[in-house]
Amino acid sequence: MTVADTRAAPKSDTDAALKVIDCDVHPTVRGGLSAVYPYMPKAWSRRFEQKKASVQSVALTTKYQHPNGAVVREDARDEKGNVGGSDPRVVVSEHINPCNIDFALLNCLQAASLCAALATTDESIILASAFNDFFLKEWLPVDRRLRYALTVASLDPQAGAAEIRRIGQHPQVAAVGLPLINVLMGSRYWWPIYEAACDFGLPIYVHPSGADSIYQGAPMACGGIPDSYFERYVTLCQIAESNVNSLVCCGTFEKFPGLKVMFAELGFTWLLPLLWRMDRTWRQLRHETPWVKKSPIDYVHDHIRFTTQPLDEPENPRHLGQLIEMMGADHLCFSSDYPHWDNDMPNQALRMLGPGDRQKIFYGNAAKILRLD
Amino acid sequence: MSSITEEKSQPAQRFDVGKVEDFPVGKFRIVQCEGRQVGVIRMADGEVHAVLNRCPHKGAPVCKGIVGGTWPPSAVGELGFERDGYVLTCPWHGFEFDLSTGAELFQERPMRLRKYRATIEGGSVFILL
Repeated sequence: MTVADTRAAPKSDTDAALKVIDCDVHPTVRGGLSAVYPYMPKAWSRRFEQKKASVQSVALTTKYQHPNGAVVREDARDEKGNVGGSDPRVVVSEHINPCNIDFALLNCLQAASLCAALATTDESIILASAFNDFFLKEWLPVDRRLRYALTVASLDPQAGAAEIRRIGQHPQVAAVGLPLINVLMGSRYWWPIYEAACDFGLPIYVHPSGADSIYQGAPMACGGIPDSYFERYVTLCQIAESNVNSLVCCGTFEKFPGLKVMFAELGFTWLLPLLWRMDRTWRQLRHETPWVKKSPIDYVHDHIRFTTQPLDEPENPRHLGQLIEMMGADHLCFSSDYPHWDNDMPNQALRMLGPGDRQKIFYGNAAKILRLD
Repeated sequence: MSSITEEKSQPAQRFDVGKVEDFPVGKFRIVQCEGRQVGVIRMADGEVHAVLNRCPHKGAPVCKGIVGGTWPPSAVGELGFERDGYVLTCPWHGFEFDLSTGAELFQERPMRLRKYRATIEGGSVFILL
């Protein structure tokens, strides 16, 4: 039996014309925190040096450590043995070029987990800016197809808004990466960040930071503490469900009519029953939150997108296609999650869909909200 | 009375359901009429309304719900209040209906209460089924 090479998989006629935006590519800062020290004041870099701070502190703890040793694919290492995703030129040569990707959105989890739970409030403000400047200077000039989700300090929304205003005009910045904390997204706490994002036409981009369901202060999945990587992984989508509901119920999209939100790597096969329940409950109890002026289904359709990876795999692949048909292809944006172990490659993803829906999901839907129109 | 709530298959029959003073203002009283439970309510402005005591959603005794007002669509964090006495909220699932029209509130494709024409003549309340 021949094992398929995901990168070299033959393309159909349809794929030849398929444009692709990859909404989730993970860059890693090689060398850890010391690599971003040049992008912060000396007083801060000396502080981090003296306390021996490192990105190793983002480890998933023993119980949530990946059972095969690493989230990043071993086969994604470059010729020198550097970890996958740590060199922009390798990301281009090993992922963007062979997969014919038109744009790739970079999303740095090292910065996200530090800002969500691992650093102090003041440290997270400094680190967010340092990571952002590192990528703006050392990654984005490498290839015009690279786009970047800037990281904001979640623990200080005013500082987060200031960071958006500082670099949000950069032509390759395409989203505001918001590391989630245990404050739901409909809370007014976030309004300064939403206001700044709207001013720059940038969507709010939400992805598991790595701290979720592990560290106090990060968002937790429901019901209790998972006992394994597997168990935690499967329940991460609950965080997105709660936040979609919160955004709608709190009237966020009435307050910020231009706001767009992209939930990445948090699944989507749960969305349809959630929308049914939200719609029914709104019709029944609308007057409790009268600022929810239309069906939640309409708010989600108009303002929220979900990335596709990791795709669920029913025994009959057509069932996934039917589900997407039921919920509407407008909600979805393709993502690979390169170079992580559970990545989906564009040549193999969602092949059960027709060319119209595929083009929407692989390019059109994301282009509309990532300033790529 | 809207055309939706009129019965067209046969001529309406008129029923005397009681003295006006037997129907308290702002509260439904259920009467039996031709095998149907009909809620009759006298409004503050003197009008009477008659409603089939069956919610169009899942058949609940809708006339046993709250008669009050509603909080209309408003800006985030603001609360208005209107239609006091003209909104019926089903006791089961909470759907709100406008007693004047029978229509579910604030929906593009509203459900509707079954309403009957009700009048006051000679000190008595009459409904047409």
